[in-house]
This record gives sequence, C-alpha cells and structure tokens, in this order.
Amino acid sequence: MTERRIERFSFTERIMHWLAALSFLYAALTGLALWSHRLYWLAAVFGGGETVRGWHPWGGIVFTLTIGYMFRNWARQMKLDREDLQWLRRAHRYAIHDDKDLPEANKFNAGQKMLFWVQSVATILLLFSGTVLWWPHSMSQNLRLLAILIHPISAILSIGAIIVHIYMGTAAVPGAFRGMIQGWVRPEWASSHHPKWFREISKR
Amino acid sequence: MSVKPVLAKLIDTSTCIGCKACEVACQEWNDQEFTISGGLGGDYQTQPDVTHNFWNLIKFNEESHDDQMSWLMAKYQCMHCADPGCLKACPAPGAIVVLDNGIVDFNQDNCIGCGYCITGCPFDIPRLNPQTNKVYKCTLCSDRTEVGLEPACIKACPTSCLTFGTRSELLQKAKDRSQELQDDGIKTAGVYNPIGVGGTNVMYVLAHADRPEAYGLPKDPKIPWAVWFWKSPLKWLGNLILIGGILGTFVHYLRYGPKNYQDEND
Repeated sequence: MTERRIERFSFTERIMHWLAALSFLYAALTGLALWSHRLYWLAAVFGGGETVRGWHPWGGIVFTLTIGYMFRNWARQMKLDREDLQWLRRAHRYAIHDDKDLPEANKFNAGQKMLFWVQSVATILLLFSGTVLWWPHSMSQNLRLLAILIHPISAILSIGAIIVHIYMGTAAVPGAFRGMIQGWVRPEWASSHHPKWFREISKR
Repeated sequence: MSVKPVLAKLIDTSTCIGCKACEVACQEWNDQEFTISGGLGGDYQTQPDVTHNFWNLIKFNEESHDDQMSWLMAKYQCMHCADPGCLKACPAPGAIVVLDNGIVDFNQDNCIGCGYCITGCPFDIPRLNPQTNKVYKCTLCSDRTEVGLEPACIKACPTSCLTFGTRSELLQKAKDRSQELQDDGIKTAGVYNPIGVGGTNVMYVLAHADRPEAYGLPKDPKIPWAVWFWKSPLKWLGNLILIGGILGTFVHYLRYGPKNYQDEND
C-alpha cells in the first residue's frame, strides 16, 4: 500500500509545525489571560499571574524560532502569483465548495499562502512589541505605548488566522490532518486539493 | 452602606521650605531602606526621581528670569487620581484597587510585575522593584488612614504646607489659599487638580498654576490615548473577531460541511 501514500510533510517539518502549535497555544492562552480580566482564570490554569508574566515571552521566543524555520523552508513556495490573486478573489466560492473556476493549487493554495504571510508579519510585530513589553522599565514611554497597541493587534490577527487554520486542518478538509500528523496523503486527496503539486510529483 | 468621604492631601507649595521631613517620615513609616539612586548631583534634590523604595520626593526646580531667581519646590508622589491610568492598564484583578476613601492602592500579593501600570500612569509614578518583581508607590498611608491617622508625611510637615482631610474640604481650602495669594499680588496662583484624570486626591496650590511644568508636574495629564484605545475599542473588536471566528467556522461546518474528495472510504 506504500505506493498509495504521498509524502506531504517531512518529519522535520512536522516536528517544527507541532512545536509551533504548542508554543503558539501556550503564548495565545497566557496572552489572553492578560488581555481581559474575564479571562484571567486562564492564568491560574498556567500557574498563576506571575508565572504567566515570566513565561509567556519564552513561549513567544520558541514560536518565533519555529516561524523562522518555516520561513526559511517555505518562503519560496509561498510567493503569490497571478493565479493566486485570482484564487483569492474567488475565495468565497472555495468556502462554499464551488471549486470549478478556481485556479489549480500547487503544494499550497492561495489561502494557505496568506496564512503564511499573515503569521510571518504578525510574528515580527509580536517579537518587537513583545520585547518592549518584556522589559518595559528599560524602554521609553512612547515605545511602550506603541507596543501595547501593536502587540494585541498583531495577536488578534494571528489568533484569528489560526482559528481558520485549525478549522481547515481538522474538520473542513478531511485528510489534511493526517498530512501533518503522519506526513502522507492519498493520491486522490492530492489531485483533488493540490492538482498542480500532484502532477509535479507524479512526474518524478 | 454608608458612603465614606473621599480623603485627600493638599500641598501648598507657597509654604514649602524644602526641609524634606516628609521624605524622611515616608521612608521611616514604610520601613524603606534608603539607598541613593542616581547619585547626588551637587543638588538639593535628594535623588533624580522617585524609586520603588522612595515614594515621596521634593523636586527642587530653579528658575531665573530678569535677574530674578526663584526656587520652586514641590513634593512629588502618587496623585491618587479619581480615574487612575494605572488601574485601567492593569491586567491582574486586585493588584490595583481604589479604596472607598478614594486611595489608589497597590496590592503586591496580586501584582504580576508586568509594568503596564507604569505605562498607564500619566504622572510616571509606579516603579518596579527588580528583586521582588512587584510595583510600588505611595499608598497615601492607607495603613494609617484606615485607623484614623493622617499620612506620615502630613504628620512630619513643620510648616503645615501639607494638610490632610476630606476632598471637598481641602478643595475649598486650596481655592481660598489661591485667592489669598492672588490678593497678595501673585496673579498666577491657582489650584492643581487636573481634570483630565477626573481630578486628583493629591492637590496643589501653585504660585504659577498657569505652568505646572515649572514644578515638574504635567500640564494637562490624561490617561494615554493608546491605553484608552487598547482597553476600549480594540478590546471589543478583538473579542468580536475571536468569538466570531470560532462561531463562524462552526456555523460554516454546519452549513457547508467538509470539503470532500472522490476517495472517501480510505
């Protein structure tokens, strides 16, 4: 049956993805604890407010490193071309499973590429504003004021994109999750969701 | 429920002699070790700024115009704002509390050391102790006032430049004193009780109320715009996006279901 399996993501890619997922989850939940008093109970779940304040930045550092790896690994494949822009204009049709007029996706479709760029930009913003918030007393007041705006804005962007990502990767696209867990997909899955990629690897 | 009167402190800078008895009393009562921070710059001022273990500082500001030299002294500490920026910015419930007598108090047991209060404060007052990772500032001697005593600085002041009482009573006193100074020919005399933070429970009588900056006091302090934006519209927009995202994906699944491909049986 091995010939019925197409490698989607390598072992390293999967390790890095799940390291990113765990550190993201930690940073997002501890961040949300400090975002609203109503969510402060999350701080208790993660060891109390002081612990959260101390460790949240380290969660962010780990996440940044994994994003750095992904950037190096995938940036070239994530470039948006003319077909991707066409795809994005018709994204609503993709959402209602009316895929006839959509340009064929390569290894990543335009939606996935957007996720990649949103996370890349958000991570850079989170890293810089987070550094300011990590050591507020060594920063100027103007920098701190900038950081308390940039940090939540980029976090909302990032978490919002991740909600869609998690939905797509689990419930919405059956077969995708196995690609990121076990690393392989069925040929039918590949030709249906990523036809260009499928043709390319079939040639090899 | 009986409503306690709001307590306040009035600093009449026109009778301050810069003796620093208030500084010493503050250190003594709050059992603070005194370590000079920032060095003695050949200056009358004890140290450049308030620190985590030095909450009450007389700022000595020299001014000269037309061959005249004037020495403006003003005691600097937490202003106990009616609308405190520190509290607005604080993410830890119970770390900053407004007592029913109007005192803005920090409860270090609940403080997580994030430093947001430092950013939220328009007077640049809270200071982080790097050893304990907690933030400290003047408590208006909440431990004394709760048993009916006046704050330590008030008790130590030899010229009655500092007075303590209910806010309404002291506000009247401040206005009367300003009028007195104006009658004496100091036309710029007035009360410093900045309205941008809802008024402060620490008020001043200034000879130059038209330019409080000369005393090291901000001209028109307000909770920083960024702090307001972060805690009001941004918070609601963010919550809407997060809750909307979770509900939206769920509803999408109910309406459209998964994206299937031909081979569903593997």
